[in-house]
Amino acid sequence: MTAQNPIVFQIENLNLFYGEKQALKEISIAIYEKEVTALIGPSGCGKSTFLRVLNRMNDLIDSCHITGNVTYHDQDIYQPKTDVNGLRKSVGMVFQKPNPFPMSIQDNLIYGPKCQGIRDRFLLKQIVEQSLKQAALWDEVKDRLKESALALSGGQQQRLCIARTIAMKPEVILMDEPTSALDPVATAKIEDLISSLKQDYTIIIVTHNMQQAARISDKTAFFLMGELIEYGDANQLFSTPENKKTEEYITGRFG
Amino acid sequence: MSRINTTLRSKKILIDQFAHQGLKTLALLSASFIFLIGSVILVKGLTPFLTDNDGLGRVGLIPFITGNVWLIDPTFQSSLYSVGFLIITTLYIVFLSLLISFPVGVLTALFIAKIAPKKLAECFRSVVEILASIPSIIYGLFGAGFILKIVYQMSQLVGVQSKGGNSVLSTVIILALMTIPTITTVSEVAIRSVDQRLIEGSLALGASFTQTNFKVVLTAAKSGIFTAAILGVGRALGEATAVSLVAGGRRSGLSFDLLDTTATLTTTMLEGMKESQGLDYNIRFSVGMVLLVVILITNFLLNLIKRKVGKIHVK
Repeated sequence: MTAQNPIVFQIENLNLFYGEKQALKEISIAIYEKEVTALIGPSGCGKSTFLRVLNRMNDLIDSCHITGNVTYHDQDIYQPKTDVNGLRKSVGMVFQKPNPFPMSIQDNLIYGPKCQGIRDRFLLKQIVEQSLKQAALWDEVKDRLKESALALSGGQQQRLCIARTIAMKPEVILMDEPTSALDPVATAKIEDLISSLKQDYTIIIVTHNMQQAARISDKTAFFLMGELIEYGDANQLFSTPENKKTEEYITGRFG
Repeated sequence: MSRINTTLRSKKILIDQFAHQGLKTLALLSASFIFLIGSVILVKGLTPFLTDNDGLGRVGLIPFITGNVWLIDPTFQSSLYSVGFLIITTLYIVFLSLLISFPVGVLTALFIAKIAPKKLAECFRSVVEILASIPSIIYGLFGAGFILKIVYQMSQLVGVQSKGGNSVLSTVIILALMTIPTITTVSEVAIRSVDQRLIEGSLALGASFTQTNFKVVLTAAKSGIFTAAILGVGRALGEATAVSLVAGGRRSGLSFDLLDTTATLTTTMLEGMKESQGLDYNIRFSVGMVLLVVILITNFLLNLIKRKVGKIHVK
């Protein structure tokens, strides 16, 4: 086995509750730098909930509370003094349905940096160009940066949302089923993009689509009923799963 | 097929047809009122310009619209009725009141919709609803009994002789108070219906709640907030009762001075009406015509701006 990349997220004995209902049970997992980690499992298995633990998006739900340890570079992100906005700046998120702001393409991209207090026009212009290039969208939109982002196609909107996340220069990008609302052509583009982004970013992606997980991920985690059933190298998990439930799921016998 | 009860079926069809025709008649009836109102205002309102008004002389349309004086006295000449200065003061006062009510209303709406804890929000929402349902005469009495006194004291302080506080300022304050509930209610609905996914998108970029509220939520609700402003302007333009209690009934001359007396199209229509016929009576319908035209034009212009503002970034 080759040497492991450094660990970014270390999660130990994580339990998550919505009120009384337990949504995640005793999850322990390590996420490695500059890899694509795919989270798979049937609907309601807790994979999206787990993703939202990592940038504390679950904070928006009043009844949600957790126990256990979630550390990001050895720092407990659930301490009271955690700078949540700072965390979300380094751990970006792309959502299931493209959610560009009702503004121009350019304003969508500089929104985040501006919220961090960046005012320098030249720098902002640079950020726009760089992040669009990285998200493979520059050639399609460079002549209409001032037009509404809502006029873009669904696939372009999703790449814009990825670009918007990249504009924050994050370390990790969380993706919550980013292609589930897109057609196959747009999906293929996003998958190519994910593979190229891997060089610079750690990517954690929730997906319904097992072929997608097999195609793009380095490591895959299989969730079922709030539990982490199996986690390992994607090749191995898809070819010779250790757990019987994993095998049943990936061969399509349930889910 | 024989199992279907044909009598029952034909009875249902009959009821459907009856309901359809009945509702159509009702709808036509209410719609026809617009023609009725329009024609009454038009016929009465045009009389001063078309007849010699029982010997007082024909009113000239152009002098009427552009003039600078309004004198109530049927024995006076017809040339002494004009509304030019009233059109301008009306727009001026409505604009000033919007300067207060728009920011206050929108920010209150933002607080209720996004910031206040649920129970407090419920409480504020009911208060705003109550404010919206208070009759305008009550606002007027409050204005006469309270705001006039304050404005009067204030003008004393700065050494201006104001007529008991009857002034542009008092009128603007009353109109602002009356339009805040309208603007708050309508923009709150717009703010609440902003897609939660946009809010999550903003927070996920590391933006704070305040940044999200001001930059994403208000931007996304822009179109609805503009509608709120249009409705607010509508209410302010049409308000008569409360305003006539604090405006001071100015009779001539344009004055933008905040502490000077003033008058609007509506107060002028209302004040000093004694007869139920003749020039002094009919001329008020002419003012009503002018008010309707002013409202139509204002609405048209505001909608034009709204479309331009909303076009680029809102679907």
